[in-house]
Amino acid sequence: MNLERLPNEEKLTLCRKYYFGGFAFLPFLWLVNVVWFFKEAFVEPTYTEQLQIKTYVKRSGLGFLLWVAVLTTWITIFQHFRAEWGEVGDYLSFTIPLGIP
Amino acid sequence: MGLESSKWAIIFLVCWLYKNVSCNSVEQKIYVELNNTVPCVRLLNATHQIGCQSSISGDTGVIHVLESEADLEWPLSKGPNPPYMVLLESSLFTRSIMMKMKNESNRVAGVAVVVPNTSPPEFSPHTTCPNENTGVYSDNYGPNLAHCNTTVWNPRGNGLSYEEFDFPVFSLKEDNETEFIKQCYLDHNRAVNGSAPQYPLCAMQLFSHMHAVTNTPTCMRRNDINFSINPEMVCDPLGDYNVWGSIRPYNDTVFGHKENESVVIAAARLDSRAFFWEVSTGAEGSVSGFVTLLAAAQALREVTHAAPPTRNILFAFFQGETFDYIGSSRMVYDMENGKFVIDLDNIHSVLEIGQVAVHSGTNLFLHSDPVSRRNNTVNDEVKNLVNNLQSSTAGLGFLLVEPNVSQPLPPSSLQRFLRAQPIPGIVLADHESAFNNRYYESFYDNAANLNLTYPSDLSPEEQLEFVTDTAKSLTDVATVVARALYKQAGGDESLVNTIKADPKIVTQMLYGFLVSSNNSWFQAVMAPELKNILKPSPPEYYVGVAMSSTPTRLVQYLLANLTGAATNLTQSQCQKPDELPNESRQMYSYLWVQGIVPPNSTERDSFCVRASVRLTKAVSPAFELGEYASKDYSTWTESRWKFIKARIFLVASRDLEMLTLGVGVAVLFTSLLVTYFISTKADVLFSSTREPASAAY
Repeated sequence: MNLERLPNEEKLTLCRKYYFGGFAFLPFLWLVNVVWFFKEAFVEPTYTEQLQIKTYVKRSGLGFLLWVAVLTTWITIFQHFRAEWGEVGDYLSFTIPLGIP
Repeated sequence: MGLESSKWAIIFLVCWLYKNVSCNSVEQKIYVELNNTVPCVRLLNATHQIGCQSSISGDTGVIHVLESEADLEWPLSKGPNPPYMVLLESSLFTRSIMMKMKNESNRVAGVAVVVPNTSPPEFSPHTTCPNENTGVYSDNYGPNLAHCNTTVWNPRGNGLSYEEFDFPVFSLKEDNETEFIKQCYLDHNRAVNGSAPQYPLCAMQLFSHMHAVTNTPTCMRRNDINFSINPEMVCDPLGDYNVWGSIRPYNDTVFGHKENESVVIAAARLDSRAFFWEVSTGAEGSVSGFVTLLAAAQALREVTHAAPPTRNILFAFFQGETFDYIGSSRMVYDMENGKFVIDLDNIHSVLEIGQVAVHSGTNLFLHSDPVSRRNNTVNDEVKNLVNNLQSSTAGLGFLLVEPNVSQPLPPSSLQRFLRAQPIPGIVLADHESAFNNRYYESFYDNAANLNLTYPSDLSPEEQLEFVTDTAKSLTDVATVVARALYKQAGGDESLVNTIKADPKIVTQMLYGFLVSSNNSWFQAVMAPELKNILKPSPPEYYVGVAMSSTPTRLVQYLLANLTGAATNLTQSQCQKPDELPNESRQMYSYLWVQGIVPPNSTERDSFCVRASVRLTKAVSPAFELGEYASKDYSTWTESRWKFIKARIFLVASRDLEMLTLGVGVAVLFTSLLVTYFISTKADVLFSSTREPASAAY
């Protein structure tokens, strides 16, 4: 969707929808928000709604980075310790590799 | 018209070419598949995993034919092209070489063992103290006798079967394929004058990826997980069926203790194992024992019908004894929990036939448990049994002797009975202390180990009927066993000397179990739907996981034919005998067998055999109870796998592979660049004004 054709209020509602949508455990919506509205928020010349769009984009970016940090930590711990956890590791796994512990 | 005919001519030409062109697969030009290989698979128990594992996409290594133990330096340290696939002759398949390779397993991709037709002087991959943790001797029962402190039963054992290797180990036969592999090695892989051999080198790839890991509780837990998208079974418990039969039949639906019933149990084991999967022959280890017992059962048939003894005699053939007494522990468990037709209190005594490979004139030994004999009643009963046995050898040319020293029972099913209750029992064996069997639980324990030889000019049918010396010796042992059992069961003393085992039956059984199971006699005693399990080679005695082991079925039908009665029932009556007034499926089992082919006829003379022979499940109680980490019962499982194969091919050096890849990538980028430049300068290169061509028509 080409943002250039939209009036500014609609840009704001779109950004807001993506921001609130990301709270439903959907960090990719925040990533999309950041990438899509980055030019609108920081590069385009100022217009009335731009300040709000800027805050939404900044907060989406922060939320996304937080998710990345949490997921990376959990994934590293799980991949490293799953074999040692024995029963718990098996019950947490979706696919258990064959032939290796 | 000309166009029509030329069109047809072209069609015919194309069809003819199509017929003469053949498919030439590139894969067949590269790889040579090896067909006669046997892998080593992974087995797991409550605490460990044993056996071999390959990676999921096979292990590839440069072939190296090992010449001596000192030559191990080349694959393990000096060779410039690791990893190596080591090809061993069987004389080099020793513990020290395998352990050295296990320690350097990042340079060893796998091992292939060439198994010759002649056996080495001795080889036993089993442990020195078989089943030491599941027998009767422990810290609570005869602690100085536990863990082979007094007698080491299998001193030649090198324990290789119970080691864990993380590379695949395959066995090859000495045939054309192996010659081809050695020729490939000599052509490409030999180091010339100390310099490294040049690429391309001959390599072998072995696939034997096993799914189960760690131990039995882990793999059984992973079997049960339902959460994942595609639940995969990773392992199966080892087990099969026990075969039992009795002189007087029991009602198969009434379990538990039977009042005033006293039973003498005669036991033998059915199974055996080897280092490689399924290729176990167990001639001295198990076949000698159960063939003797089958012959004794047949010898007792007439006299027990004419003058039935006071006590009942129960013949029991246990499966899975190699793996911590699967069959006997299950039968004892069933007896303890009222799931078998008799109870432990009904057992009067036990006579077990162990390894009895005799040569004429050698003595046999009667082993008993010294700890239970401290009790006077048990001791008196054992002495009575020993007397009955020793007096049965009159006129047969050998003696039965009790061992001189006070030593424990050898590994035997009787130990599991003693674990439950002190029962008087004797194990009959050919060894006084350590085993005489030089190939215990190995693939060399075959007919040659029993000195089973036939004159070379006989046809297979004549070999079946030929009474070998081994058969004559085993017949004498069977006669002794039968007489002793009859006396022990309180039979009429005057009839004892009429009991004689039949050497013809013994030699036919030895032929069928050790040379070729597809012979006319086995065909005659088997059911029509089972005749396909008979093959021109001996059956395999590994207990397996499929609950359909050939020896179990053969022993079941043989016991039925040798102790049961042929009836006049038709085939449909044989399947539904309860409709007839005198027949009862609860008391007997009715088996429809093929029968012999009469002369001048092509149809078999099939008939219905009525016998008191039953199968009971021989799966370890640990799996019934769900105690996969049990220390009391066998917990052996076998891993599953997808496919097992081996192949050889020529492999190029890593540098050449990288160079090829690099050139390919460079060509890709160059072509991208060239295309980009051409497309940006397209209007210059391909101008729109056309210069008239100078060609004229």
